[in-house]
Amino acid sequence: MITLPDNLKRPFADHLLAVADDKLMLGHRNSDWTGLAPILEEDIAFSSLAQDEMAHAQALYQLIAGLIGTSADALAFGRESEAFRCAAIVEAPDEFDWATAICRQFYCDHFDRLRLRRLARSSYKPLADLANRLAAEEQIHVEHVDSWIQRLGRGTDESRQRMQRSLDALAAIAPSLFEPIEHEHELVAADVYPRAEKDMFETWRNELEQIANDSSLKLDLHPPSPQAIGGRRGKHTEHLAPLLEEMCEVYRLEPNAAW
Amino acid sequence: MSNVREQSHPSNGDLTSPAEGDLKPYVVFTQLNRGDPHMYAGCVDAADEQMALQFAREHYGQDQKCVNIWVVPKEAVTATNYDTDLIWRHTDQTYRLARGYSKPVKDKWRKLRRAEDLKEYEKDDLKETF
Amino acid sequence: MSGSANVGVHVDHARDEDPAKLAEFEARITAGELLEPDDWMPQAYRQGMLKMAEHHANSEIIGALPEGEWITRAPSLRRKLALTAKVQDEVGHGQMLYRVSQDLGKSRDQMLRDLITGKTKYHNVFNYPAPTWGDIAMIQWLIDGAAILNQKTLADGAYGPYVRTMKRINMEEAFHFKSGEDMVLTLMSGTKTQRQMGQEAFDRWWYPALMFFGPPDKPHAEQLPPMRWRMKTVTNDDLRRRFINRFAPAAIDLGLKIHVVKKDDNGMVIEKKPDENLRLDETTGNWSFTQPDWDEFYRVIRGNGPCNAKRLALRRFSYEQGRWVRHAILRGNAGLPPAA
Repeated sequence: MITLPDNLKRPFADHLLAVADDKLMLGHRNSDWTGLAPILEEDIAFSSLAQDEMAHAQALYQLIAGLIGTSADALAFGRESEAFRCAAIVEAPDEFDWATAICRQFYCDHFDRLRLRRLARSSYKPLADLANRLAAEEQIHVEHVDSWIQRLGRGTDESRQRMQRSLDALAAIAPSLFEPIEHEHELVAADVYPRAEKDMFETWRNELEQIANDSSLKLDLHPPSPQAIGGRRGKHTEHLAPLLEEMCEVYRLEPNAAW
Repeated sequence: MSNVREQSHPSNGDLTSPAEGDLKPYVVFTQLNRGDPHMYAGCVDAADEQMALQFAREHYGQDQKCVNIWVVPKEAVTATNYDTDLIWRHTDQTYRLARGYSKPVKDKWRKLRRAEDLKEYEKDDLKETF
Repeated sequence: MSGSANVGVHVDHARDEDPAKLAEFEARITAGELLEPDDWMPQAYRQGMLKMAEHHANSEIIGALPEGEWITRAPSLRRKLALTAKVQDEVGHGQMLYRVSQDLGKSRDQMLRDLITGKTKYHNVFNYPAPTWGDIAMIQWLIDGAAILNQKTLADGAYGPYVRTMKRINMEEAFHFKSGEDMVLTLMSGTKTQRQMGQEAFDRWWYPALMFFGPPDKPHAEQLPPMRWRMKTVTNDDLRRRFINRFAPAAIDLGLKIHVVKKDDNGMVIEKKPDENLRLDETTGNWSFTQPDWDEFYRVIRGNGPCNAKRLALRRFSYEQGRWVRHAILRGNAGLPPAA
């Protein structure tokens, strides 16, 4: 499928915004580490991963912008917080605590790899092609973050404790990634947002558990409550508004100008 | 800017933690296209080979297209000494180089063959070695 | 932003060295040869190169901070990506220059500690504030432009590892400078607010850019060891002249006014008037200009600039905050489990 039926455009855009918004916020948080990470070489590497996330967001926004008639920058910088579809975990600040940053990345990268592989089977070819390319890069992220989980989980008592604390703290909000988005069944029926091959949450938890077990860490994850309404439906944590205020500070000075 | 960057932190006096020293240096070689030789790119400090590769990929593999990377512990490199180790000999080495023969051979052929025949014959010479 | 070494390298060349070896060393320098770490060199040269490479590395690491503040506020996705990549490059330059210094015998950990505790210095230019997006544009145009001018000449130096690093760094600086030009051109052809933002940032950065190359040279600089030994290859004043000749006319054509300014303790401009000395001398082809306030320069070098404390505090925070990570990697059982 190359063109999308009109009635699916808006829900489809919402679903893709969830992907793009997750990536933008994660990239935004991680890019702030540039210059401040614990080891110079890792500073460089982590910044590359942050750039990937933002570049992925940009590519997705471009796709969405084409569907609903706007621009990638207007989507990134020109929306109010209720219009964002990102999950609670990517909104969480890290206060430059490396354990928090790595654990947040751990939950998100494994999820994103699964999500992109799923989207790569979309009947909407422009998305399938893009998701395929992005999934290949996401693989690098997963390997990178897994090695940090393993090294710091096994490193010293202190590093293990810090990692365990951060894993636990984020475990409460990590399942926010799985919050359903409205009108998913229509998109799944048309196969533009393909059905997950297996239970995505179980697959995700198993992947994470395997790495955690190799790293002397414990994982305690529970599926999100179906009643809970969160970021996927525009209800955000208290961290998103200040994030957006900062991110859009310059853009909003002259929203119609080129920068 | 993010709060932490803005906040003022205690900033005077000596550091409380002791100096830890450095990770191990690894030499990085990058290959820009399949089939090309790997070329020296720089160094990274890392705990082991896997970490060195991970660092090298992002540090030296992103400036231009790059298809393969080697890392080698720096201590594994043994080198000659500029001052004491003579490598290229001082004596005339042209006897073992093609260019040591190009002119005399040409002169000798010229006595035996017509210029256009010789030119045709020389087409298959490895001229870049002369 | 990049801050290449304009450190006043004080080289005590009169120390006891074998005169024959020293003569041979100087002959190699004169012949344009590149020196390698294992070659014989005067102690003063080795120490001077370490000091210079370490200062340069420190400058890259601290230089990542002022622009780093703006990654989270860059006004488009492309600018956000570019600024992240640029600051990342600076960390990469720091890493490579620390490597050059490590090979001269000092550990990176020690260099970072000395930087944080003020035992070593970094480039003065990073002690000025970047309060608006316009500053980011001007830094990338003027300061990176100045750094490229300087580093091109440092790439003609004599110490092989430093020269090779300089060449690699300059490739990346080309991206920084071009993206800086793009930002400045966009601002100055933008709305009134944008042009004003550009002008105000220009007023803040023009003089730090002129001071970038260091104070006026001592008499006969060419004969003193730093230049005689090709640790640097062009005088500060000559670099400054090249900079003005390139950037003053370009700034004027962009619609920028070149002002002599007075700043408060926070580095903000409180008074400005057009530089009346600014004109092109048709016979020499050189622009004349009002000299920077060198008292201010030395005041900032001594640690009393607008942002000295802030920069070092953040660097210290990052070092202390990352301690447990480095400790786990260096001293812990941080090996990866065997592949499944």
